Amino acid sequence: MPISAPERSLLEVAGLEAGYGKIAVLHGVNLRIGAGEVVALLGPNGAGKTTLLRSMSGLLPVTAGSVTFDGQDLSRASPRDAARAGLVHVIEGHRVFTQISVADNLLLAGYDLPRRERSARIEEALSYFPEIAAKRHDRGGALSGGQQQMLAVAQGLVRRPRLLMLDEPSAGLSPVLVDRVLGVVSELRAKGTSVLLVEQLIEKTLAVSDRVYALAQGRIVLEAGAKEGDLPHRLEHAYFGQDVPTALHA
Amino acid sequence: MLASIIASGLAVGAVYALIGITYNTMFATSRVMSFTAGQLGMLGGVFGSMFMLRLGLPVLPALALTLICCALIGVVTEIVAVRPVLKSLEQHLYVLTTLALALLIQHTTAMEWSTEPQPFPRLVNFGSGIWDEKYWLPVVVCIATIIGLEYLYRRTLVGRAFVAIAEDNFAARALGLPERNLRMASYALAGAIGALAGFAGGQLLLAFFANGSLLNFYGFIPVALGGLGNNRGAVIGGFVLGLFQQAANFMVGGIFSSVAVFTLFIIVLLAAPQGMFGAQAARRV
Amino acid sequence: MDAMTGTAPPRTRPKVAGPLSPLWPFLLLLAIGLAMPLTGNAYWGLIATRMAVYWVLVAGLNLIVGYAGQLAIGYVALLTIGAYTTSVLAAGNVFPPLPAFAALGAAGVAGAVAGVVVGLPALRLRTFYFAMTTLGFATIVTQITLAWQDVTGGGIGIAGPEMPEPLDTTWGFLYFCLGFAAVCTWLTANIARSRFGRALVAVRDAEVAAEASGIRKPRLLVLVFILAGALAAMAGGLFATLQTYITPDAFTFDLSLLFFIAILIGGRGSILGPLLGTVILTLLPEIAAPLAAWSTFLYAALLLVIVLAMPGGIAALIDPRSRRKLPENRVITPRTAALDALLGQRKVPEPMRLSGIVLAFGGVRAIDGLDLEVAPGQVHGLIGPNGSGKTTTLNVISGYYRPEAGSMAIGTNPLRAGDPEGRATLRIARTFQTPRLIGEASVLENVMIGGTIDGTAGFAEALFALPRHRRDERELEARARLALEAVGLADLAAARADRLQHSELRFMEIARALMLRPAFLMLDEPAAGLSAEEIRRLGALVRGISRHGTGVLLVEHHADLIFDICDQVTVLNLGKVLAAGTPAEIRVHKEVVSAYLGA
Repeated sequence: MPISAPERSLLEVAGLEAGYGKIAVLHGVNLRIGAGEVVALLGPNGAGKTTLLRSMSGLLPVTAGSVTFDGQDLSRASPRDAARAGLVHVIEGHRVFTQISVADNLLLAGYDLPRRERSARIEEALSYFPEIAAKRHDRGGALSGGQQQMLAVAQGLVRRPRLLMLDEPSAGLSPVLVDRVLGVVSELRAKGTSVLLVEQLIEKTLAVSDRVYALAQGRIVLEAGAKEGDLPHRLEHAYFGQDVPTALHA
Repeated sequence: MLASIIASGLAVGAVYALIGITYNTMFATSRVMSFTAGQLGMLGGVFGSMFMLRLGLPVLPALALTLICCALIGVVTEIVAVRPVLKSLEQHLYVLTTLALALLIQHTTAMEWSTEPQPFPRLVNFGSGIWDEKYWLPVVVCIATIIGLEYLYRRTLVGRAFVAIAEDNFAARALGLPERNLRMASYALAGAIGALAGFAGGQLLLAFFANGSLLNFYGFIPVALGGLGNNRGAVIGGFVLGLFQQAANFMVGGIFSSVAVFTLFIIVLLAAPQGMFGAQAARRV
Repeated sequence: MDAMTGTAPPRTRPKVAGPLSPLWPFLLLLAIGLAMPLTGNAYWGLIATRMAVYWVLVAGLNLIVGYAGQLAIGYVALLTIGAYTTSVLAAGNVFPPLPAFAALGAAGVAGAVAGVVVGLPALRLRTFYFAMTTLGFATIVTQITLAWQDVTGGGIGIAGPEMPEPLDTTWGFLYFCLGFAAVCTWLTANIARSRFGRALVAVRDAEVAAEASGIRKPRLLVLVFILAGALAAMAGGLFATLQTYITPDAFTFDLSLLFFIAILIGGRGSILGPLLGTVILTLLPEIAAPLAAWSTFLYAALLLVIVLAMPGGIAALIDPRSRRKLPENRVITPRTAALDALLGQRKVPEPMRLSGIVLAFGGVRAIDGLDLEVAPGQVHGLIGPNGSGKTTTLNVISGYYRPEAGSMAIGTNPLRAGDPEGRATLRIARTFQTPRLIGEASVLENVMIGGTIDGTAGFAEALFALPRHRRDERELEARARLALEAVGLADLAAARADRLQHSELRFMEIARALMLRPAFLMLDEPAAGLSAEEIRRLGALVRGISRHGTGVLLVEHHADLIFDICDQVTVLNLGKVLAAGTPAEIRVHKEVVSAYLGA
């Protein structure tokens, strides 16, 4: 199990800056993910985790810095380019399409694939989630929140990603379902797929991860192996920091 | 008299419904209401008349050319008037850009085609009186269009992609759908639907540049009645409007019938701003 | 203009330009108009008169389109109504003939009524719908003039009213119209510069902030529709005299377009811009006669180019503020001393209490039985993970959301659910997660929006710039300068708000909220996007505000700031209170640390 950053990195993010309009959210983020590695991205609310994922997948323009994926520069790429290159982003909030069926949701995820391969890929993605495979003809809106989250992950898997980025897949899920989704992360890891996991549930996340980055106020404040001791305490320190402004109380 | 009210009411209603669907088709992928919808309908009549009567083409090639021309104008709408203002949708600049483009189209037609209504030929030589093809072609085309669209949206991948983009543009982009190409395709489709409306209704409305603003207004009413983006609502709204308008025409005369339609429109809008089949808009804080 | 009531130290104070400053372009245009008789060319006199008449309409419409941002496209309808009302009353084919001036006055009344009728849909409908209804209205009015032959003469038309001597000559009428236009310019400039004008722009660009400042959109818009309708109809009366004979053909859609586009070419939120736009568009077909047939095409092409390439219009080109460089490396230095002058030491209000608040969106309980008490003079922190209901709580207090259960009260007075515009009167102010601002307005004007409800002068007083209105303005400006002083933006008062940095906008929003002298102030993530140093200053400012008796409710992600300045902290999770207490208690609270860190 690699503790330090691996030799060959699949994804390389350097000096990344991004934001919304006048609001700069990311202030020079550096991050590396190796092939076959599961990396957790932790951090308090408003730290910029979602912004980081969005700017890596092309959903949000990059203001400065670079995103290199397998030697290919993705700094100006569209989400479609990123997905074609094998960098797939499952956005937060299980936003599946409610008007169309489960199978059609997956079919759309494979929009760019050759027609012949689509159904095989869909079956492959569904094989991870038997509980939604049974509901393939139901409308996306008829699924429960947890099933919608599984569908969203399955959508990402249709592309056979080399790096799958999951943004809070456990939000709003019952503990059993959280284990199901995180279990899939372990399965993917076993098959050599890299995963970047943004999560609130630290312990469960660390259990499936190789390495951890912590983001606070748009900067990486901590990089460590997931199994290093004393991590929760170091995280708390990194978030709340002792280098905060001194007390203002009169 | 009742029969002819119904025949003409259904006929113009079908044209209005098709223009309403044109609005909806553009709206679905872009959240933009475009003033060019009515102009596309007008051009369907003008191009049809031009290809068949001025250039002497047979019906089918003329129809194909008309559809292609209007689809191209749809794409131009997307590139010139929609895409540049999509970033700031909440400023509603599209109202101005599409209005400007609609006026450019209308005025060019007036100057280069004719300022007078020009005849539109018979297409299939069917029926007379209230069974005249001019009343029933629009109805048939409207029904065929709605069936075709249902097939597209339910059975084809592109159609499902349209549905997906309409529901959640951001998620569709994240999934790697070619959102911009699909939007252009939907504008081309809208152009073709508008062209169909004008072509099928050509014998009724003639090839006249001023039909553009007229269809803009009367085609918008079904959308307002049926709720934005709701095609079935637009068809029902279109037929209701057509029948109401023709009935008012016979009873109170042409000019006051438009007053009646306008009054009805305002009352319905104020009473149900979301339309009768529409959903409440979300809060914006 | 410098009647400061506060005790802020004297310092150089950048002057903020009003809508008529500089004045010389207006005077120059007027002088050119007045000098027309020297040319001896009656045709040019006619053109100048037409410009003046059009401007009377555009000046009023400018308040609707340029200031309030309502896309009223079919305003030729009002011109038609005014022209026919004047002509019919002066000709006496319904009532005994009226003198021309009385007929003109009657047209103004008719126009005011019609203006409200045309405008009413704007209070309920979305932009495109409203544009459509005004277009429909224009068509209908033309059709009625055609059909109502007994009164309007139908397609044959009717003679326009004749002016009494000495206004019945080309030059006499020109001078009359120029005078009329000058008065209209002055009146609309008065409105534009008043709290009503600022409120219009606020409704256009920052509707939610306008509501929080107590601006009631329907009332405001109706007043402006009355004014614009009256001016447009009187322009119609003058137009009828100028034409000497009117038929429905005279009122083409092209005219509507001309009025509308003149404003957009001129630029929103300006008076000189649309005036120049009117002059240019009236001249254009005259200068190039072959273009006359293509005038609609030209107008439409201009509209497209303006919107896509030059959204600010002429006004942005001639606005010196958009070129003047702001100093680099500006630092926000709040001066809490100014808070003394601004807020004073007030009677301590009673606490705000929320109990058992429940609010669900589509089955998901965003707030699930929330109890909260915000004490005066204290900073109360509200923290929790994303989606825990923090901003939703602020929106319930602000009245944007109606809770399904629970009660709110200040002391013993219940706080009505809903009614966001009523919160300002109760001195409840707030800021927003994304700053809501009017980019084209100056920082000072943006801040003055916050004090809108404290004006005492009515719309008519503002229209004629009567003393009470001028006193309002002085007081609001003085207070706004104090507020800017307090948050540390005094030097940027005259700058356009859209040129400020993000962090400055956050402080500007606080200044706007302070204009209410709030009893309760709600801050929604004020530290987002700020540097560590700015956060420290923000903390001191918020602290200072609370020490003047204001109860502050602070939603924030920056844990350091929360623990540093709060007296009380409430932690939300899944819409419920997870913990409440002092920062020291919360910091060591086991569940909080785990919810926050997600362990």
